[in-house]
Amino acid sequence: MKYSFFSLHDPNFAERGEATAHEDGIAAEENPKADLNSEISKDYMVVTTHNLTKRYAGFSALSDCCLNVAEGEIFGLLGPNGAGKTTLIRSLLGYLTPTSGGSTVCGFDPQLEGVSVRKQVAYLPGDARLPRHMRGSSVLRFFSEMHPFGDLERSRMIADQLELNQKRHVAFMSTGMRQKLALAVVLSLKTPLLILDEPTANLDPTIRAIVLDFVLEAKRAGRTVIFSSHVLSEIEQTCDRVAFLRQGQLALELSMGDLHQRHRVWGSALDNDVSAPENAGERVVVHRETTMSKSDAENSTSYRIDLAGDLADWLPWLQGLSLEQMRIEPLGLRAVYDSVHFGNENWMEGTKE
Amino acid sequence: MIHRILVRKYIGQSLLLFLACGTTLFAFAWVRVWVVSLLDMGQFQTILEQFREFEKFAPIDFDALFTYPGRVGMTFDEPIVIFCTVIWCISRGSDVVSGELGRGTLEMTLAQPISRSSLLLSHATVSIAGLIGICLLVWGGVSVGVHFTSITETVEPATFRIPWVNIDIPITETSPSKRSLPLSDRVDVRTYAASTFHLFCFGVFLLGLASFFSSIDRYRWRTVGAVVSVYVLQLVMFGLGKAAESLQWLLSFTFFSCYKPQKMTSLVGEGGFAAPWGLSVPVPDCSLPPLAYPLILLGLGLLFYGLAWFCFRRRDLPAPL
Repeated sequence: MKYSFFSLHDPNFAERGEATAHEDGIAAEENPKADLNSEISKDYMVVTTHNLTKRYAGFSALSDCCLNVAEGEIFGLLGPNGAGKTTLIRSLLGYLTPTSGGSTVCGFDPQLEGVSVRKQVAYLPGDARLPRHMRGSSVLRFFSEMHPFGDLERSRMIADQLELNQKRHVAFMSTGMRQKLALAVVLSLKTPLLILDEPTANLDPTIRAIVLDFVLEAKRAGRTVIFSSHVLSEIEQTCDRVAFLRQGQLALELSMGDLHQRHRVWGSALDNDVSAPENAGERVVVHRETTMSKSDAENSTSYRIDLAGDLADWLPWLQGLSLEQMRIEPLGLRAVYDSVHFGNENWMEGTKE
Repeated sequence: MIHRILVRKYIGQSLLLFLACGTTLFAFAWVRVWVVSLLDMGQFQTILEQFREFEKFAPIDFDALFTYPGRVGMTFDEPIVIFCTVIWCISRGSDVVSGELGRGTLEMTLAQPISRSSLLLSHATVSIAGLIGICLLVWGGVSVGVHFTSITETVEPATFRIPWVNIDIPITETSPSKRSLPLSDRVDVRTYAASTFHLFCFGVFLLGLASFFSSIDRYRWRTVGAVVSVYVLQLVMFGLGKAAESLQWLLSFTFFSCYKPQKMTSLVGEGGFAAPWGLSVPVPDCSLPPLAYPLILLGLGLLFYGLAWFCFRRRDLPAPL
């Protein structure tokens, strides 16, 4: 079952958010990602999957996955180990034959036109292994010659930026060095679609930042990126949309623009029964917290209020609640991830008391 | 279909093995021919006569071995020649899919715009070219050995044979003399063209078999184990078929029955250089014409390659472990 966060709770929210970004030039300047969002063409879907399913004997690695990735966006894939992220990516590249359903990548069917698909795609596997008998420089040359979008000079330049010693044999490289080498291979290809499966694994923070810059550069160049990672901050930093997979199912799709307009309010109230405003619909969800701290008075109740939309709209209402020890925080990807991970897709819903 | 860059990569991968096998085989073939010259034909005949009861295990009649071409031709049945050829074929054949899967490199290779057929064909091209090289090096070693080796022959004095009683009477009183001559005077290296072709077909069969097992497996060690098991099983069947008359039917089910390099050598001796290449007259003591045997091996090898292509194209590629 697919959940689109905004279609579930506020169908007009995304449109309104985009409209705001377009109309408000200052806001767009202050938030480069908002500017990037506005450039996304929604007309052409680079990747589409229709009920994509992959079953093995005994278990289902991917079930009825329906996804669309628009041209020019960075699409994040999130989920715990074994959720089906790599299975999805490998199906898109034609490595795996789906049990049912199908997909198109850049207009090609990976099952029938695998070579055409891979001409359009630069792919970094989660565990990239390279020929051990070659030197780093030979690996760069080999892959730049293999791909029509290959560019040896660019791959050398990227390898230098990643501080990689290209003279060393792959067999004598550390895990991080091999990852850098694979990144130099993949990031040098100026293909329309870039698929990165945990690209920053085994890298130090400086190199991670450089890799993320390359990802954003790819987006600026109008390329589409599918980005799988367990590092939520990287996803938040780079992605326009994310999909959460759990046990082979697409549990949730979320626009990062929407997430940035989500806030969580904590506070306690004395003899007050807090409930959402009547006209708020599902944009305000109030949770009565059962866990009480020692400092709480006997008659006070802790509340967690999840807000969707412009925070400024809700401030007068919050002020009227007379909450004590009030704390407002942006709702991070972590909260969403935890909710999905623990099987609670309706994380914005709660008791409206 | 054959990918130039992949071919270059596979050459780089297999070069060391090729040089090792090729050098060994060339040197061995040369030395093997030289050893032939060390043992006088008369002594060799005496030794071999003691093993007459084991003649049925030999690929040809012992009488065919009492000639220099026959003894040099035994090179193609030497365990070292077979061993090195088998090593090349199994190591290269098992590498194509399960080897790359095991190393995890297939993921990145197939992320490039190349088809699986192209990958398999490029690999097969390098493996078969290497096999051709190895076979030619054996032949080359034999040729060099033949050209650089001298033999010493005992020249008996002229005799007169008495009719009906068949007794040879010396005409002169001189004692037998010894003379030295190049082995090439006794052996024409073109004799071994058919034997070399047999070795090549034997290798193609093994390459195809190993590639097929590799294409359906994900562990190279298991692929090698499976191919070696088949090889040993076939060898045992061949041995049993030769040993017991009641088990002769096993010979029809083992590919070793099609590997007849020494038979080809004796055929050349009997019928000239063209004799092993015929497809019309069956080989004496055999049911098929001489060229049919290597063609069976070649056909089976190509069939296995076809099966490998079919399975590899359809299979799921697991993520590296």
